Amino acid sequence: MTATIAELITVETVTDVAGEVWSAMVGADEVLVPDGGSAPAGTSAWVTVTGPWNGAVVLTCSPSATDDLTRAVLQLRPDEEPEAEDVDDVLRELANILGGNVKSLLPGPSVLGLPETGTPPPARPGSSTVAVSWRGHPIAITVQGATEAPELTTTEVPL
Amino acid sequence: MRALVIDDSRAMRRIVSSILEGLGYETRPAGHGREALDVLEEGWVPDLACIDWNMPVMDGLQFVSAVRANPSWRSVTLMMVTTESEHGQIVRALAAGAHEYVIKPFTPDAFADKLSLLGLLPTASEVSA
Repeated sequence: MTATIAELITVETVTDVAGEVWSAMVGADEVLVPDGGSAPAGTSAWVTVTGPWNGAVVLTCSPSATDDLTRAVLQLRPDEEPEAEDVDDVLRELANILGGNVKSLLPGPSVLGLPETGTPPPARPGSSTVAVSWRGHPIAITVQGATEAPELTTTEVPL
Repeated sequence: MRALVIDDSRAMRRIVSSILEGLGYETRPAGHGREALDVLEEGWVPDLACIDWNMPVMDGLQFVSAVRANPSWRSVTLMMVTTESEHGQIVRALAAGAHEYVIKPFTPDAFADKLSLLGLLPTASEVSA
């Protein structure tokens, strides 16, 4: 049976990983402020992790956050409207980088799936959610155990 | 100098290309390894290929192996740019023929430092050429 995520990685560690990713990808001065809330309703992007621990790392952004996030990552002008495809792509890549960095802290070897957006896979109880605020927008990063081993969506073959 | 930027994320291709173009590179994008091989096969052989690991169709490791199997592409420096940070995976990539490894996320300065280590920062004359 897969260990619960709380046994493997602390919320503080996930918060640190998210902060590093934000600083590098969104902007050196961009900070995530813990807000103690729950995951907002909005758009989710995630990657699965398959190995000794099976689960997913899910990034959920409020609708108000997604356009600003895309502008920041792609360094668009404030008046430039991001295309829907770019919004999805930025969220997937952020989830991919968050997932890869969380995976590096979990028992291995394991394989990261390709990032997806939409409705995240079902989680078993005991998920670890970091709820933060970025420029006032609610955002959540959830590390959740899978109810069953995720289907591999990668070309990579597990070791 | 030329660089091929291989990543399934448009955002990441744009970020990496922007860094490279700022340093004086001419860049071309590819969304996966197969598309990148098509670019090489048409004769556009770069000095540097920046390669994501986890991509659809053909992943980065398969691309590295394919490039290394072709002697006419021996001059291409292969740099993995990926979230894949497990030690065993890094060893696999280097064993397959990758020269350097950059783990996402990275800053533009860290990226340029890797290129400097590889001797691939364009000189002023190369930038103006």
